[in-house]
Amino acid sequence: MLTPKDEQELSEAVLGASDPLRIIGGGTRGVGPGAPNLSTRELTGVTLYEPGALTLVAKSGTPLAEINEHLASEGQMLAFEPSDFRPLLRTEGEPTIGGIVAANESGPRRLAVGACRDFLLGVRFVDGSGNVVKNGGRVMKNVTGYDLVKLLCGSHGTLGILSEVSLKVLPRPETSASLMIYGPTVDEAVGLMARAMGSPYEVTGAAYSSQDMAGHPVVFLRLEGSETQVTGRLSKLRNLLEPFVPTGENYAISELTDVDAVQQQWVSLRDLDEEAGTYRDVWRLSVKPSDAPAICAALPEPNYQLDWAGGRIWAFTEPGTDLRNIIGQFDGHATLIKSASNLPRFHPEPAPLANLSAGLRNQFDPRGILNSGLMG
Amino acid sequence: MGLVTTLPRNETGIETVVGVLKQQLGERLQTSEAIRTQHGHTTTWLENQAPDAVAFVQSTEEVADIVKVCATHKVPIIAFGTGSSLEGHVNAAAGGISIDLSQMNGILDVHPEDLDCVVQPGVTRKALNEYLRDTGLFFPIDPGADASLGGMAATRASGTNAVRYGTMKDNILSLKAVMPDGSIIQTGQRAKKSSAGYDLTRLLIGSEGTLGIITELTLKLHGIPEAMSSATCSFPDLESACNAVIMTIQMGIPVARIELLDALQVKAVNGFSKLSLPEEPLLLLEFHGSEASVAEQSESFGDIADEFGGTGFSWTTSSEERTKLWQARHDAYWASLSLRPGAVGISTDVCVPISRLAECVATTQAKLEELGIMAPIVGHVGDGNFHTLLLIDMEDENEVAAAHEFVSWLNELAISMEGTCTGEHGIGQGKRRYLEKEIGAGVDVIKAIKTAIDPDNIMNPGKII
Repeated sequence: MLTPKDEQELSEAVLGASDPLRIIGGGTRGVGPGAPNLSTRELTGVTLYEPGALTLVAKSGTPLAEINEHLASEGQMLAFEPSDFRPLLRTEGEPTIGGIVAANESGPRRLAVGACRDFLLGVRFVDGSGNVVKNGGRVMKNVTGYDLVKLLCGSHGTLGILSEVSLKVLPRPETSASLMIYGPTVDEAVGLMARAMGSPYEVTGAAYSSQDMAGHPVVFLRLEGSETQVTGRLSKLRNLLEPFVPTGENYAISELTDVDAVQQQWVSLRDLDEEAGTYRDVWRLSVKPSDAPAICAALPEPNYQLDWAGGRIWAFTEPGTDLRNIIGQFDGHATLIKSASNLPRFHPEPAPLANLSAGLRNQFDPRGILNSGLMG
Repeated sequence: MGLVTTLPRNETGIETVVGVLKQQLGERLQTSEAIRTQHGHTTTWLENQAPDAVAFVQSTEEVADIVKVCATHKVPIIAFGTGSSLEGHVNAAAGGISIDLSQMNGILDVHPEDLDCVVQPGVTRKALNEYLRDTGLFFPIDPGADASLGGMAATRASGTNAVRYGTMKDNILSLKAVMPDGSIIQTGQRAKKSSAGYDLTRLLIGSEGTLGIITELTLKLHGIPEAMSSATCSFPDLESACNAVIMTIQMGIPVARIELLDALQVKAVNGFSKLSLPEEPLLLLEFHGSEASVAEQSESFGDIADEFGGTGFSWTTSSEERTKLWQARHDAYWASLSLRPGAVGISTDVCVPISRLAECVATTQAKLEELGIMAPIVGHVGDGNFHTLLLIDMEDENEVAAAHEFVSWLNELAISMEGTCTGEHGIGQGKRRYLEKEIGAGVDVIKAIKTAIDPDNIMNPGKII
């Protein structure tokens, strides 16, 4: 395993590579076929942190835990709430910030504040020819040419190997609370979540579990902010939704206001639980929220979870079931997060886009050595 | 002025294409000088380079047909929305065909349940919000002009709401575009995380028409806040004002807009919009949320302002007063011009880390004084982005030279502060020479992408690179 310690060594490693490189950060997300042979985990360190400017710059291999620690000391956070796949994938190691950016990994708060790429101000990376390239920087916005920052985010190491990332961070909310609605069908749940998102009460999480630990379906809605604000908005949100919750003994509404419990709840909604890890294939579908009920009805297993008010579906299947056949008739795409079968990890692109992507890959990586085959 | 380069023309190709398109489009292909000039650059001091013909298109398929004809004959194509860009983006540096998308102004679909809509590129931002009014939704990006949404996407536009709602890049779910070979692509669907592969949507956003022509956009919409409040506060100096901004943002007050006006700008605005604000550096803010939260946000800001020597703090939820204040802000350009009738306004657009903002603005003011240039300053300070509007007598060579010197100096100052020469106006023709200084080897990557997608360089040649 190559573990370059600085950008120069990274560049040399790429230049000197004669065989394809299978690149990882901490190796917690299971990048796909082939054994990893290059990790950025030794490129570590927060190089700049200016809480007043809401800006943090870190080398790509910096552990997420280290970044969170820095931010917590100033009452700040990565607002896009990156997930930790270790429980789900039963992997070890440390999630790194570079790995998160390369995967554009965002959690529940994405629907309120945006995705990882929306907080990415700049990148430095080494392309497939060993050139060090930088784009973007520390400023909140720029329009200097093509947006390579967004192009690299979510490119899974196939266009370049990130060496440093610059992120916008946000203040951590003073407190948070959840409103839970027990009993709704997926149809009802998506309707309730849409109503909550359309309300002025600033909902920062809208998830649905088809079966909680006791086997009940539950909608989870999260509010964050100052103490007085959250209390007020929680009761207004409850009043708004109550008339739309069907009556019946299966239905109930409750609130969770203990901040630690709320935090724990959303960590487990974000990372899924150990039980999900028992499934051999785990899919993540990106769909239009209004299509979610029809898609869920077509899933082979009755156990699934929605996030982003229905825009993201976590589905669990036995190996060999290709959910892309189900999603085919809807807008959206399916990523295979964990697999015991050899279906491709990423949803194949339509031909014109696949051609464009191949053209880009060829420019960034003419030798085809960077995680080749992973994204087409 | 040295900023506009003329590129070699493909005379035979242009002549052939104009002939073919005349047959295809009839009256919708215009070659009169007035129309051609109007489709070149008209908004700032860059000189006008008119296209050879203007095609008024009505559908994606028609754009694709025109692009195929142009591709066959290697003739440049320049997309045109409303022509409100500031850096020569619509100039025809090598001649060619301007594709005017203003007639593609249909709002195709609004999906309130998914908080999105599908529009054609010629719809202007105001027309969209007018249309959305009854749905309780709005589209937040508000550059100074009533620009077309296609143009705003192509230039990655932003505006005063960027602190809370981001810029165009944050508010587009997917695009339909015609590529240089005439193929039509759809970069994603309406699903929130729409791209399965690379983020081609955001590669096209801000590509200034050099990679393809955007013919349809799926936009993210936002709920109109239950309540809004506006606040104003004066400060003894720019540094205090900037420090108040930093503290406000650091405290997590979810301010929607936060704008800085320097004393000269306040004077201009007072005169033009009949206001009586103290002629000192001023912060103008807006808060969005519930009734209670805007009150809390406004008061929290008041406390911060007080700490930094702010005076005359006041806030209001009255829609009439708010509109009057923000109209005055949006009219700042015209107000500035009225300070010196007859002068031409030249706008700069640097953006620096917010921690360097006070220093950058103060150094800028000192430089303006040294060069004897009158130039009010407004800033989207929540983002570290500010504009100086140089009021220049274009007949006076010395003044023009001083203006050039200043613009270069400021762009380099921003780059030296780890900032950028352009936060929202773009590179176009006017800022090409700063691009390499700012992004170094990144320019080669941009060139490589351009070559991969548009090998014959027919899409808006001479822009960005």
